Amino acid sequence: MSLLELKHVYKIYGDLHALDDVNLTIDEGEWVAIMGPSGSGKSTVMNIIGCMDKPTKGEVLLDGKDISKETSQGLTDIRRDKIGLIFQQFHLINYLTALENVMVAQYYHSMPDEAEAMEALERVGLADRAHHLPSQLSGGEQQRVCVARALINHPELILADEPTGNLDETNERIVLDLFRQLHAEGTTLIVVTHDAEVGASAERVITLEYGKVTSENGGTEFGKAARKDVI
Amino acid sequence: MKKSSMYLRMITASLARRKSRMLVALLAVTVGSTILAGLVMVYYDMPRQMGEQFLAYGANMIFVPSSDSDGMTSEEIEQAASEIDGSVEGVISYCYESATINDAPIVIAGCDLNATLETSPYWQIDGALPQAEGEILVGLNQADFFSLQVGDTVPVSYIPADVKAAVEGENLNGDVEGKVLKEFTVSGILDTGSTEEDYFFISEEDMAGLTGETLTYDVTELRVNADADALAASVERIEQAVPGVTPQLVKRITESQTTVLSKLSALVLLVTIITLALTMICVATTMTAVVTERRREIGLRKALGASDKSIMLEFMGEGLMLGLIGGLLGSVLGFGFAYLVSTNVFNSTITFLPALVPVTVLAALAVTALACVMPVRNATKVDPALVLKGE
Amino acid sequence: MFFRMIKGVLLRQKGKMAMIAFTIALGASLATAMLAVMFDVGDKVNQELKTYGANITVVAKEASVVDSLYEVDGASSIPTSYLKEADVANVKKIFWAFNIVDFAPLLQTSASINGTDAVLVGTWFGHHLSLDTGEELDAGIVSMRSWWSVEDGAWLDETKEGDVDRVMVGAALAQTLGVKAGDTVKLSCGKKSGEYEVAGVFSAGGDEDNQVFAPLSLVQGLSGEKGLITSIEVSALTTPDNELSRQAAKDPSKLTVAQYETWYCTAYVSSICYQLQEAIPDAVAKAVRQVAESEGAILDKTQLLMILITILALIGSALGISNLITASVMERSQEIGLLKAIGAHDRAISGLLLAELIIVAILGGAVGFGVGYGFAQVIGYTVFSSSINLSPMVIPLVVTLVILVTLAGSIPAIRTVLRLDPAEVLHGR
Repeated sequence: MSLLELKHVYKIYGDLHALDDVNLTIDEGEWVAIMGPSGSGKSTVMNIIGCMDKPTKGEVLLDGKDISKETSQGLTDIRRDKIGLIFQQFHLINYLTALENVMVAQYYHSMPDEAEAMEALERVGLADRAHHLPSQLSGGEQQRVCVARALINHPELILADEPTGNLDETNERIVLDLFRQLHAEGTTLIVVTHDAEVGASAERVITLEYGKVTSENGGTEFGKAARKDVI
Repeated sequence: MKKSSMYLRMITASLARRKSRMLVALLAVTVGSTILAGLVMVYYDMPRQMGEQFLAYGANMIFVPSSDSDGMTSEEIEQAASEIDGSVEGVISYCYESATINDAPIVIAGCDLNATLETSPYWQIDGALPQAEGEILVGLNQADFFSLQVGDTVPVSYIPADVKAAVEGENLNGDVEGKVLKEFTVSGILDTGSTEEDYFFISEEDMAGLTGETLTYDVTELRVNADADALAASVERIEQAVPGVTPQLVKRITESQTTVLSKLSALVLLVTIITLALTMICVATTMTAVVTERRREIGLRKALGASDKSIMLEFMGEGLMLGLIGGLLGSVLGFGFAYLVSTNVFNSTITFLPALVPVTVLAALAVTALACVMPVRNATKVDPALVLKGE
Repeated sequence: MFFRMIKGVLLRQKGKMAMIAFTIALGASLATAMLAVMFDVGDKVNQELKTYGANITVVAKEASVVDSLYEVDGASSIPTSYLKEADVANVKKIFWAFNIVDFAPLLQTSASINGTDAVLVGTWFGHHLSLDTGEELDAGIVSMRSWWSVEDGAWLDETKEGDVDRVMVGAALAQTLGVKAGDTVKLSCGKKSGEYEVAGVFSAGGDEDNQVFAPLSLVQGLSGEKGLITSIEVSALTTPDNELSRQAAKDPSKLTVAQYETWYCTAYVSSICYQLQEAIPDAVAKAVRQVAESEGAILDKTQLLMILITILALIGSALGISNLITASVMERSQEIGLLKAIGAHDRAISGLLLAELIIVAILGGAVGFGVGYGFAQVIGYTVFSSSINLSPMVIPLVVTLVILVTLAGSIPAIRTVLRLDPAEVLHGR
C-alpha cells in the first residue's frame, strides 16, 4: 500500500507555478530522493509533504487521508504523529542541550522519556555529547541530534531537507549511514537534495524541473547495493 | 518523566541559558515594577508626610473658654485634647494677663515656652527662650517701644483682679496697695512678623508667681496632623464632651492646607499615572522585542508538532516567571526608593505596604503576559515553513 | 553605499525601527514632561501657597500697632501712625514687582455697629489701579483671604455699581447682631455715622469673625482719616530663605558688594521687604514668619520630592530605551555576522548601526519631546489650572539624555555581537 500519494498537485504563487500538476506515489518503506535545481519546486513539495504548507489545488493522501483539506491544527497533529523532520539549518533550540532538544519532540508527541532520548542519541553516536548545547557541537553533530530528534517518535515518514547541505564529507557519510540504517529498519525516507551522491544513495530518484516531475527512476546500483549491504 | 517537569525544564533552561536576553527582559520588568511600587508608595504616604510639613504653619485648632467660663483648667484641656481624632503634634496653652511696665500697659502671656518649638516653629528668637525663673521673652514691637535688649531687666507690675475691682475708677498708676512688682531679665526678643510681637512671654511658674493663683488658660493652640474631615469631627466631639472648652478650627490653616495638599496629591498622582503608563509600554515593547526575536524557534516547535496552545503556554510560562521575579525585585527596590524619598525629603521613615507586593507582581505579570501574547500569536499564525526559511 | 544601507534599514525594517523610535519617543516624552514639571513646580506650588495669605506686612515706621490677638482687654487697638494710600501703588514698582501676586492696604479703626463696639477694617476689594508705568491691574484682599467662606450674600466688588457703599460682616458679629446679607446696619465712628447695606457675611475662623470689612474710601470717610492707611498686606512669590538671606535680613549693610547684589536680585522675602521699604516712605516691611517660613519649607520639600521622582522616571526611561536598543541590536546578530563575513570592518559595522540608531533616536526624541510637552501641559492644567513654562534647561537635557542613552544601549550590545564568530552566527546561532 502506498504511504503517500500526490494527485495533480498545484502550488501557485500569483503567476508563478511552483508546482504544476505533480503526481507522485511513495510506498511504505521506500527511500526516495527528490532532486532538481534550485527553484524547481523541491522545497515546496517538501513543505507540502511535511504538512507545513497546503497545495493550491490537488490531493495529498497520507495513509489514505487527504491532508490538503486539513485545518492547520489538524496538520500540526499529523506532523506530530507521523512525520520526523530534518532541516538543512538543523534548527535546534539553542538554549537546550542535545538531549533536551530530542526530548522536546517527545514532549510535543507524548511523554518525555530521558532514557529513550538517550538511546536515540547513542544510536547517532552522540551519547557522550548529550549534555552539550548546540553551540558546543560541530555541524555534523548538530545534524545527528536532528536525526535523533526526527526518529525519536518512530514516525512513519522521515522528511529531510538538504540534510547534508551544511556538512563536510565525513559528516555527510555518517548521516547517510544513519539513513541507511533507518531505511533497513523499514522507515520511509524522503530526502530533498541537489547533491548527486545523496540522491544516488536512495532507491528511487524523482527529478523536478519548473514544478513538474521530469523523471523517475529506480535509483542507482550503488544505492541498491548499499541497501543490501545493510540487510 | 512527567510532562510538567519537561515544561519546567524548558522554561528554566530558556531563562538560565539565554542570559543576556533574559537579563534585558528582567531588567525591563524590574524597572517597571520598581517605578510602580515606588511611586505608589510615595503617593500613598505623601498626604501624611506632607501634612507634617504643613504643621509648620502653626496651630490648626484652638481651644477657647466657653462663653460662661473665665478660663480653662489644664484638666479640661487635657480631656479635650484626648478627644481629638488624629495625632496631636503639639499643645500649648496661654494665660494672658494685663500688667504694666513703668505704668505703660502691656500684655503678658504665660505658657510652657518650650512647647512653642512644637506649635510655632516659625518663631525667630534673637537670644533664647526663658529657661530660668524670672526670665522673659519680649515681642519685637515691645522691645522697640521699651528699648529693651537681651540681658536687660524690666520691672513688671501686676494688679490682681480683686484689687482692681476694689479701686474701681481710681487711677491705677503709681503706688496702689496690693500691686505686685517683679523684675524680669530679657532672655530673648521674638520676631514673627505678626501679632505675637506685641506681647511678653513668661513661664507658667512665673505667671503663677505673679498672679498668686492657679493658672487658668485663655487659649490653647494645637497642632493636629489630620485631614479636614477628621478635624471637623473632633471639634464636634469636644463640644459634646467638654462643656468648658470651645474648640475652633483655624480656617486659614486648615482650609489652605486642604487646598494645597490636594493639589500636591493630584500632582503626584498624575505624575505617577503618566510615568507608569509610559514605563509599562516600555516594558511591553522590550518584552515584545525579546519574544519576536524567537520567531524561528516558534516555527521549529510548530514543525515538531507543537500546538499553538502549548507554544503559548511555554512563552507565557517564561513571561510570567520573569514577571514574578521582576515584580518581587521591583517591590523591594520600589520600597527602597520610597524610603529614600522619605528620609531625604521628609526626614522620616516609611512603613512598608505589604499589600503593594501582590499588586506590583500582578501588574508585572499582566504586562509581561500581554507583551508575550501578541508576538507569539503572530509567530504561530505564520506557516512554520515560512518562519524556518525566513531570513 | 553607507547611506544606501542606512536608508535600506530604515525603510525596509520599518516595523522594528518604528518600535525603537516609539520607545525612544516614550522615554523622551516622559523625560520632557517630568523635567518641565520639575523645573516649574516651585513657581506653581508657590502660587498655590498664596492661599495662606499675605507673607509680608508693611506698617509705618513709628507704628506700634498694639492689636490684640485674642481679644484680651487692656490692649489699645487704636493705631497711632499711618501710611499714605497714594504710596500703595509703589508696591508694584520694586525690582521684584513681578513676584507681587496681590496686595491690599488696610485701615483699621474702632467703630460701633448697631450700637455694638467692633473693629472696622477698610480695604480694597478688587480695586482698579493704573500705574504710571502704564500697567493696569486689580488689587485687593479677596485672594489674600482665600480661607474665608462667604456664608450669606457675596464678596464685595468695587468694580460693581453700589458696592462701594456696602460692608461685609464677620459671622460671629453678624450672629450677635442678628444681621444678614441685604440688611442695613448703622456704623458710627466718632461723630460721623452712616447706614450701609450688608453685602455678605463671612466666616474666617479667627478674630476677623468679629470685625466689619468695608471699602477703604468708606472707612476713611467715616473716621476722617482721608488718604491714610495703617498697613499694607503683600502676597509675594519668594525664594526659600538660606544663609545669605538670613544674614541680610539682620543687616544688609554688612554684606559684601557681591553678596548684596545676589541678595538684592533674588526674591528672598527679606530682599523684597527691603525693596518695599525703599519704595514706600517711612515704612517698615516685615515678613510674616508663620507664612514665609512654612512656605519655604513646603517649597523645598515639594521640589526635592519632584526631583527624586524625576530621577526615578529618568532612570526608568533611560533603562527602557537602552534595553530595547540592546535587544534590537542582538536580534540583528545574523545580519551583523553576514556583514562581517563579507569583510566589513568592525568599525564600519558599528558606524552603520550607530548612525541608524541615532537617526531613529533623533526622530523618536523629537516626537517624544512634543508629546512630553503636551503631558506637562496636561499636568499643569489639571493640577494647577495654568500652563507649565518650559524651562530652557529642558531641551539640552532631553537631547543629551536621548543621545547618551542610545549610545549606552547600543555600544555594549554591538561589541558583544561583534565578538561573535561570523560562522557561528550565520549557522547554528
